[in-house]
Amino acid sequence: MEGDKTVAWFCTYTPLEILDAAGLAAVRRFGDPASLQAADALLHPAMCPYVRACLAEETRKAGAHHAVFVNSCDAMRRLYDAWKAAFPEAFVYLMDLPRNLGGLAEEILAEEYRLLMEAIREFWGAEIALERLRDANLAREEWRLSYLAQADGASGKERLRMAMQAHAGGATEAAQDNPSQPGGGRRGQGVPVLLTGNLLNPEGIVSILDKAGAEVVWIDLCNGDRGFSSSTLAEGSDLSGFLAALAASYLQRHPCARMSDSGRRYQLLTQRAREAGARGIIYASLKFCDSYLYDFPRVQEMLRREGIPLLRLESDYSDGHVGQVLTRVEAFLEMI
Amino acid sequence: MAAKAREQADLLGEIKARFMDRLSPSTMRSRVFWKTVEGLARSPLNRPQWKADRVSLHHFLQATRDAYFKRGPVVWANLLVPSELIIGLGCIPFYPEMASAVVASAGLAPRFIDRSTEGGFSPDACSFHRCALGCAMEGFLPEPDLLLTVNYPCDSAPLSFAYAADLYGTPHVIIDVPLPGRKDATRLLADQLEEAAKKLAGLSGLTQKDMEEGLAQAIELSNQAVRHLKRVEKLRKRLDCTLDGKDAMGNISVLSGCLGSPAGVEFYRLLAEELEQRGCRGGDSLRLMWMHLKPWYSQRIFEILDRHGVRVVCEEYTHACWEPMDPRRPFPSLADKISSHFLVGPLERRASHLVSLARDYRVDGAIHYNHWGCRQSCGGAAQVKQALLSAGVPTLLLDGDCVDEREYQEGQLSTRLEAFLEALRQGPRREALS
Repeated sequence: MEGDKTVAWFCTYTPLEILDAAGLAAVRRFGDPASLQAADALLHPAMCPYVRACLAEETRKAGAHHAVFVNSCDAMRRLYDAWKAAFPEAFVYLMDLPRNLGGLAEEILAEEYRLLMEAIREFWGAEIALERLRDANLAREEWRLSYLAQADGASGKERLRMAMQAHAGGATEAAQDNPSQPGGGRRGQGVPVLLTGNLLNPEGIVSILDKAGAEVVWIDLCNGDRGFSSSTLAEGSDLSGFLAALAASYLQRHPCARMSDSGRRYQLLTQRAREAGARGIIYASLKFCDSYLYDFPRVQEMLRREGIPLLRLESDYSDGHVGQVLTRVEAFLEMI
Repeated sequence: MAAKAREQADLLGEIKARFMDRLSPSTMRSRVFWKTVEGLARSPLNRPQWKADRVSLHHFLQATRDAYFKRGPVVWANLLVPSELIIGLGCIPFYPEMASAVVASAGLAPRFIDRSTEGGFSPDACSFHRCALGCAMEGFLPEPDLLLTVNYPCDSAPLSFAYAADLYGTPHVIIDVPLPGRKDATRLLADQLEEAAKKLAGLSGLTQKDMEEGLAQAIELSNQAVRHLKRVEKLRKRLDCTLDGKDAMGNISVLSGCLGSPAGVEFYRLLAEELEQRGCRGGDSLRLMWMHLKPWYSQRIFEILDRHGVRVVCEEYTHACWEPMDPRRPFPSLADKISSHFLVGPLERRASHLVSLARDYRVDGAIHYNHWGCRQSCGGAAQVKQALLSAGVPTLLLDGDCVDEREYQEGQLSTRLEAFLEALRQGPRREALS
């Protein structure tokens, strides 16, 4: 089991540089949206469809099933539980993540990084030296900047596919492989909108936005641009100093709605919308994701005050009937 | 019998239509209203099953009234925030999740849930929180001076409180509980609690000395209450114990909201005494464990259990799962209290807690009520069931909603429950299994 060095990850708060520095291949799982019902026996159907899709796919797959989870939400913690029960021999690790910012939260998170490194050493025998960690951190910064450069000007669906390919450990070449849909919004080719939410299937709502004639100028999703929007570059003269700086940079990144600093999230959202020239915001999120279910009314209120038009869409991740939202999107684009 | 039940239902319907549906935010802030409610609670018309229930009712009515009248700083809290911290620092705790259970019991939840839907909240979110938020939007809840949440047992509390914090323009403090077994977990949590305590003491104007004394006293009272609760737990393990889960389930409010007050001590002392006095009722019924919570608007499930001669002898959330606290070290003690809760961290703690309960209380079966929108609980239900089955405890997962009566599928639920009870009756008894 220990021989296979592929490690699955799911949440963008996973410290990828630690996995890289240990010589592990960090691969984000997106699951199989078409077969998520297969997870019903292990996870209640009213759970996050992304989590269910990941579990459904993994239980069908051969492999070592090593995985690092972040305790970012109830659904992720329950996925960890189910994964651990399904694959007792694998390296299945749960790393904590504070909701708060500040010194105490950074201390908690830095200690979590140290514990993760210790668990990796115990399982694989891989010692992580400070130099390797620094190199890995720098390489992830280059990886981030490379994605942003390549994704610039791509249509919504293309960008999302590129981001997901980058997360899954592949090259970001989707833009070349998948030319934009007819009518779909590459730069300057549609009504500029910003897409925000949790995580979407690139074949679903994003495709519809392209088809309806939207130009998605920024994808504020955790499987989209948001995962690349903040630098996690850290500095430190010794390992503990470096881990403290890394913890601070992860906590300071463009936040997911589960974090406590929602004011900053809203400020970043409106700032990004204005800078990118978005005429409206599409709030699209997966069903049963509490972080975004409770976030939406606050975003709605904030955007109303700011005078930014908003359309809410919901996804079941498989998006089998997503064509039905086309008319709503077209009407919204016409309105803005 | 049926005619009497109909008559009672008609009467309740009339009370609801004439009085409850007409409640307004100003009613909740009227002295006449509270005088009437407190008078009714004391009157012979109110006949609780247990004497102790009068104590908890009096405590909560008084605290809620004081919160509306602003007789002290009001602190909204979720269920894992230790009440000792709030009471000991001279603040009034208010629990929106409990308020939703009360609103649901009064048959008023749909009105407030619909209000939260109008405000943009999805029907896929937990109805405890949607109902509370709907009440808040309509101005029905006492305004908080501070909102305090622990990041367990569920995501809904920190998230919904964040909305309420915006609504009232009030600060919101979130306590990050480290995962179980982490080095320095007690210190890191204790530091956060101390930080929160200073904010509470600032609201109530307490000095450092007052703060230390208040917390020490609250912790001492809490320890006393838990000693009596342990007596109750011991008595409930007897096969002939008369306290049924349908009555005991509401004691979660006492465990979460009264500890640290004299009422908490008195409640459990009276309950233990009365259990000892009432004694045997015959030990031939099947014994069930109830997981998560019950629908607060209907007793129908328990009527079915009664008809089948089945009793709920233990509930998931009504046990003290922490060690006695040290009044001289309030913050580390309270930190340990929170950390030792079985809902903190991965599911294995919860599953093992439930298997232990099932063994200790010699249950013949277990029911997990899957409250719609509760990810922490429903999300782990399949694995909890597996753990209980491995321990020889037949387990039923029942989908439903604790607060929104419109999501209660009477026919489907009864059919599944009756089939489970039939199978249970035909299966081997727990005594033989243990």
